Amino acid sequence: MSNYIPTIGIEVHCELKTKTKIFSDSINGYGQMANSLTNVIDLGYPGTLPTLNKEVINLAIKAALILNCKIRPVMHFDRKNYFYPDNPKNYQITQAETPIGYDGYVEIEVDGKTKKIGIEEIHIEEDTCKSTHRGTKTLLDFNRAGVPLIEIVTKPCMESGEEAKLYLEKLKELLFYSDVSDCKMEEGSMRADANVSIRKQKSEPFRTKAEIKNIGSISNVKLSIEKEIKRQEEIYDKGESFPPQTRRFDDKLNDTVLMRVKETGNDYRYFPEPDIPYVHITQEQIEQVRKTISMLPDERRKTYQKLGISEVNAKKLVQNRALSDYLNELLEEKIDFKTAANLLLGDISAYLNKMETEITKTSLTKEKFIELTNDISNETLTSKNLKEILTTIMESEKSISEIIKEAGIQNITDNTAITEMIQKILKENQDSVVDYKNGKDRAIKYLMGQVMKESKGSLNPKMAMAILKEELNK
Amino acid sequence: MKYLDKSIEEIHSLLKKKEIKPIDLVEEAFERIEANKELNAYITLNKEEALKKAKKLEEKEIGDNLLFGLPIAVKDNIITKDLKTTCASHILENFIPIYNATVVERIKQNDMVIIGKTNMDEFAMGSSSRTSYFGAPKNPWNKEKISGGSSGGSATTIAARDVLFALGTDTGGSIRQPASYTGIVGMKPTYGRVSRYGLVAFASSLDQIGPMTRNVYENALLLNVLAGPDEKDLTSADKEYEDFTRKIGKDIKGMKIAIPNYFMSDIVTEEIRNEVEKVKKLLEENGATVDYVDMKYLDKAVTLYQIIAMGEASSNLARFDGIRYGYRVDSPKDLDDLYLETRKEGFGKEVKRRIMVGSYLLSGENAKTYYNKALSIRDDMKKEFDKVFENYDLIIGPTTTTTAYDLTDPMDDPSKSFMDDVLVIPVNMAGLPGLSLPIAFGKDKMPIGLHIIGNSFDEATIYQLASYLEKKLNLDLNPRKDDEHV
Repeated sequence: MSNYIPTIGIEVHCELKTKTKIFSDSINGYGQMANSLTNVIDLGYPGTLPTLNKEVINLAIKAALILNCKIRPVMHFDRKNYFYPDNPKNYQITQAETPIGYDGYVEIEVDGKTKKIGIEEIHIEEDTCKSTHRGTKTLLDFNRAGVPLIEIVTKPCMESGEEAKLYLEKLKELLFYSDVSDCKMEEGSMRADANVSIRKQKSEPFRTKAEIKNIGSISNVKLSIEKEIKRQEEIYDKGESFPPQTRRFDDKLNDTVLMRVKETGNDYRYFPEPDIPYVHITQEQIEQVRKTISMLPDERRKTYQKLGISEVNAKKLVQNRALSDYLNELLEEKIDFKTAANLLLGDISAYLNKMETEITKTSLTKEKFIELTNDISNETLTSKNLKEILTTIMESEKSISEIIKEAGIQNITDNTAITEMIQKILKENQDSVVDYKNGKDRAIKYLMGQVMKESKGSLNPKMAMAILKEELNK
Repeated sequence: MKYLDKSIEEIHSLLKKKEIKPIDLVEEAFERIEANKELNAYITLNKEEALKKAKKLEEKEIGDNLLFGLPIAVKDNIITKDLKTTCASHILENFIPIYNATVVERIKQNDMVIIGKTNMDEFAMGSSSRTSYFGAPKNPWNKEKISGGSSGGSATTIAARDVLFALGTDTGGSIRQPASYTGIVGMKPTYGRVSRYGLVAFASSLDQIGPMTRNVYENALLLNVLAGPDEKDLTSADKEYEDFTRKIGKDIKGMKIAIPNYFMSDIVTEEIRNEVEKVKKLLEENGATVDYVDMKYLDKAVTLYQIIAMGEASSNLARFDGIRYGYRVDSPKDLDDLYLETRKEGFGKEVKRRIMVGSYLLSGENAKTYYNKALSIRDDMKKEFDKVFENYDLIIGPTTTTTAYDLTDPMDDPSKSFMDDVLVIPVNMAGLPGLSLPIAFGKDKMPIGLHIIGNSFDEATIYQLASYLEKKLNLDLNPRKDDEHV
């Protein structure tokens, strides 16, 4: 029976988060009226020439740095010539010969072990326009034409759909956290192609590969690779073979379908783009870019755990960039980070979700959050009380102490007052006191409940329990 | 009315004293163009707009701008907003652009009046303007002869004295060769001196816009307007404004000039070589040193040019597909049919031939074998020029191997037509500035041009020598002696 080793390589196209397009000053935007973000350059008008957006080079350098790539000090652009209506000049400006970054890697965790996914190259290119087919007509929207892309190509080094998924998740997280791209697969700002082949043994040369194009989500990448491996296994097991081909993943069929068999010698007639001079990248520029890289996900998770936050919560925080960024502003503070994480992921997240807002848009300043964390961790504020005043905390400009005071939930921290109150309750509940003395555990819980009820929850429960026990044992 | 035959200073002074108005010059230009209609110098006239603009200029202060109110003709591969730009091709026959080329903006800012768009080889591909979809222009010195190309229409209208100024473009001699054939002054500036933004690209790494005029001084004046960095063109050089007339009138004593032996070999007619020899003597008599020098690679220039220019052209012309602008066939069967039929019907023979050869040259491994190799030999050729300029101020030679030939000469030998440009092409390959200056007439009474090549960005020294010779030779360069028009 079949016992094949799959080999998978992934190509990712990723739109860069720049203000303007790569070769013109049109806005780089999504979801606008068709053809409203275009000019004569984007339309490939006769006589127009490309300019070069420096932001693109810097973001590509950044991507190369976070993917541990080497960066080419001198590079140029090339023309890839092919006719298609989505390609306004009928050539695409790309980098065929001198990709800006090469020879890098990304680390993923597979079954608890670290695996390096080799990055063959990163190159810069322009996006094509978007075509929509309506019956016999094709509509063209050039808003996307000239949006800057980087293409990240791995070495053929993955062996399962799961590895491909882990790689893409890691890549997405890295590019997102370094502000290189939005990485919104649903909007097409990140798109993946998978190259899949299988063979019996690693000593055997690679067999025919199939390329699955433009897969719309990470889970579908995994699924389509698994389906494709199965398809190829079945063919080989029957003693048959198949030609090199391009396939796509069909959501409805939940399987890959053939798009076209690859023609031999697809000829793009590459040559160096004569309209753009060679680009020189200095070490100084690279260092400038390096400084703009904020703390990356792995380091964030590690840092959080070091500060006492649980592994689960550390992961959850990194999944929520806004909260993680918020917390990162506080790393130098002397607060209980476990409490801080619980607050952010608990009550605060619930509030933000309910209100559909972001933490930076609320009135929860850093100072306020520190005060709140401290109050919770030293138990001057109970979580029950917090729930009552949370909305006010998030929406008013007042300090936590002011809010607490105004809400009339001053915590009773005066021992004498608590003792007096407990003594009064014990007097009123002599039966339970007797039960307690007779060894009935339930009795103390009941009494504690009465204490909290009397105090309207404003007592520090630990302190109250201690005094209650003391009084009962007198 | 013969204002347009006066010197530019005289015209300027008349305008300044309000003895004439810009509209007088514009009207006179259109009368002359009308009288010279059979020369076929223009594809599109801009009469209505030009008159309107001239009228508007009456409200404006003339100042010291010598070019104020003067009509100018623009080659039809330079984009003009709201004014048809055809590239002499069926595929752009009705193409009305929505923006202006940078040079067009500059001539407008300098209050010049665009009079029309001049005839040319289709997409500037040719050496006699006979590949024009609108028929070839005729040489004002002899209507049986070609005006050269590809800027044949611009050369024709200047030679015929319709206007004083025209823009040409030069990829492989397309300004200098027609200037030589028609007895005018044509300058191809250093690559990068003038912005290419809005020039419909033929071979991007070679194309350059330049001035075509009846004399050297006016040529330098127009270059003053055209030159300068442009952020819209990354290949435009970061050179600040300079006055290209500044060396005009200076003596040439002590100037060191080289003549490459190849330029005086038997590829050039004896008659033309003799005229260049006479210039050499004249220069020597006046204190310049003129030496023959050996230069490598010059004989390879045409081959390199064909590879680079056709390769780039095949890509540059891909955008003409009938989808966003230009000609498009009716009811194509499918997408391939749309491309094939539109381009088959839209382009002329020579253009299609060059696209096909260019596509072949870039295809598969050919790009490395041919295009990249050509680029590297081109660097060597540039170094060969650099070596000469270590010891010499300028290089001279004939602009063309013959004088203008008959319009009826066969066109079916494409490689022969490139030989028309064998002397001018090396200058494009090296990115250097070069100018053609009329120095004599042949036995056929057709003009002969001297090619003056300068070091990179040293157009000013070229103008210095050209104006010196112009004054010494003092040729009568007006073919319209008997006042054929008006």
